[in-house]
Amino acid sequence: MQTLESNKNSNLEASSDENVVNLPDFTTDEYKDAYSRINAIVIEGEQEAYDNYISIASLLPKDSEELTKLAKMELKHKRGFIACGKNLSVEADMVFAKEFFSKLHGNFQTALENENLTTCLLIQAILIEAFAISAYHVYIRVADPFAKKITQGVVNDEYLHLNYGEKWLKDNLHTCKNELIAANKANLPLIKKMLDQVAEDAAILSMDKEELMEEFMIAYQDALLEMGLDNREIARMAMAAIV
Amino acid sequence: MFGLIGHSTSFEDAKRKASLLGFDHIADGNLDVWCTAPPQLVENVEVKSAVGITIEGSYIDSCFVPEMLSRFKTARRKVLNAMELAQKKGINITALGGFTSIIFENFNLLQHKQIRNTSLNWERFTTGNTHTAWVICRQLELNAPKVGIDVHKANVAVVGATGDIGSAVCRWLTSKTGVGELIMVARQQDPLLALQKELGGGQIKTLDEALALADIVIWVASMPKTMEIDISKLKKPCLMIDGGYPKNLDEKFKGDDIHILKGGIVQFFNDIGWNMMELAEMENPQREMFACFAEAMILEFEKCHTNFSWGRNNITLEKMEFIGAASEKHGFSAIGLDKNIKPLPV
Repeated sequence: MQTLESNKNSNLEASSDENVVNLPDFTTDEYKDAYSRINAIVIEGEQEAYDNYISIASLLPKDSEELTKLAKMELKHKRGFIACGKNLSVEADMVFAKEFFSKLHGNFQTALENENLTTCLLIQAILIEAFAISAYHVYIRVADPFAKKITQGVVNDEYLHLNYGEKWLKDNLHTCKNELIAANKANLPLIKKMLDQVAEDAAILSMDKEELMEEFMIAYQDALLEMGLDNREIARMAMAAIV
Repeated sequence: MFGLIGHSTSFEDAKRKASLLGFDHIADGNLDVWCTAPPQLVENVEVKSAVGITIEGSYIDSCFVPEMLSRFKTARRKVLNAMELAQKKGINITALGGFTSIIFENFNLLQHKQIRNTSLNWERFTTGNTHTAWVICRQLELNAPKVGIDVHKANVAVVGATGDIGSAVCRWLTSKTGVGELIMVARQQDPLLALQKELGGGQIKTLDEALALADIVIWVASMPKTMEIDISKLKKPCLMIDGGYPKNLDEKFKGDDIHILKGGIVQFFNDIGWNMMELAEMENPQREMFACFAEAMILEFEKCHTNFSWGRNNITLEKMEFIGAASEKHGFSAIGLDKNIKPLPV
């Protein structure tokens, strides 16, 4: 019956060339200069992630095997992103990247020393992973073909890391909620500052700051919802990114 | 499950509503903060139809506000992110309300099927335009006699005749209602000529010419705020059906014997027990809603999980008959003119 036919074969169906965007020129000095910092952040971020999951394993011996597996993925990602820099003949500015992560790194180390597992998981498995996932999603749309393929592989892995953090925090929410909220208040503003700090370079790579922030808020909100927080609690937590 | 994707009518309004709902992080934010806000699943609801079928649904606010229309990329992201959320929640059929379907159509979002890890499945979405077109036609048929207009003798102007809803309305009025004379108004001539050929009739006029001739005017194009209309040139009585979005006809046409009806709005037979239509500023928010939203509910009642209204100029008379019959069966009716209007002899 014609009435119930779907329109899936409509001649207005999408063209095969999806998500058409104007790609930047990957060969200009301006692009390579910005890329030297963005690429370094990504490489350093993956190294930090490796170190952090190994550290978290020391606080959670029963999950040691899984966490070590997750950690090793981060090293594989790091190698992939080093290759992306080489492919564009760009030398990553690792000094910049170390400084970029220093505050978050410091907060993680303090939490680790005090065995504040909830804070460690929030920083690494939620905030950094959501930050990475959002940035990778935006980057994939404007990356050179080599980096695009590498990043597409990476982003799927990062969801596994985010899921690990979500699950642990969900299972332990009744005991860890207060620490989670306090840790979020201390660390979410750092993520916002890091995003602001990198916005200019990201723009040269055709990554829009507004889009990066929105992608982050989507990944972050999804993670908090998954943990079992309600809309009002999420709203209160997200406030920390604005004020 | 059915879904409705909506948005606030203005930025100020959106902030007020966000505050009421407890979304303090965006309620206090400026427009830039709203541009980065994720879509929100605001409410879940259960609805029982007039024939006893119960369905569940969700209202998603895209966090779009009309002030974002000039920000092309932002508007595009708002719509696509809301659609992705609807699909991730497993909603079978979701209606694109307000500016959502207009942005989808005008910004050609069909080419953006991949949103993060989600490949949007177009069959889960409907513009709701078939039901909107049917409701507007029913509003004409039922309300013209109330103000002394005989539809079979009336000159009926359709402003925005070549659009998706406009062309469907023209088809129905020609083949089903049998209006006296159909007058078609649109910006572009070629689609008008094609529609005239398809219908085998109808006059093509400019807006000014059409308004001077029409007993009934159906507006399915948004009216520019700057447009000036000389209401002394209108026929009296005149029935105006405001089928565009946003609905702003009553600001332009005030006068005796000019009757303005909010087009494409339906009323459910029972209170629904939701808050979402207060957000959409309906007069009777427990029962009234946009016909496009109701289309998603009707399709869910009928277990017709398909993009029933999609693309442009795919609305057939058969589809309008189907959705119209289902609409009445499940307890929807088109809203009419104020009951206090004195019936006039036809």
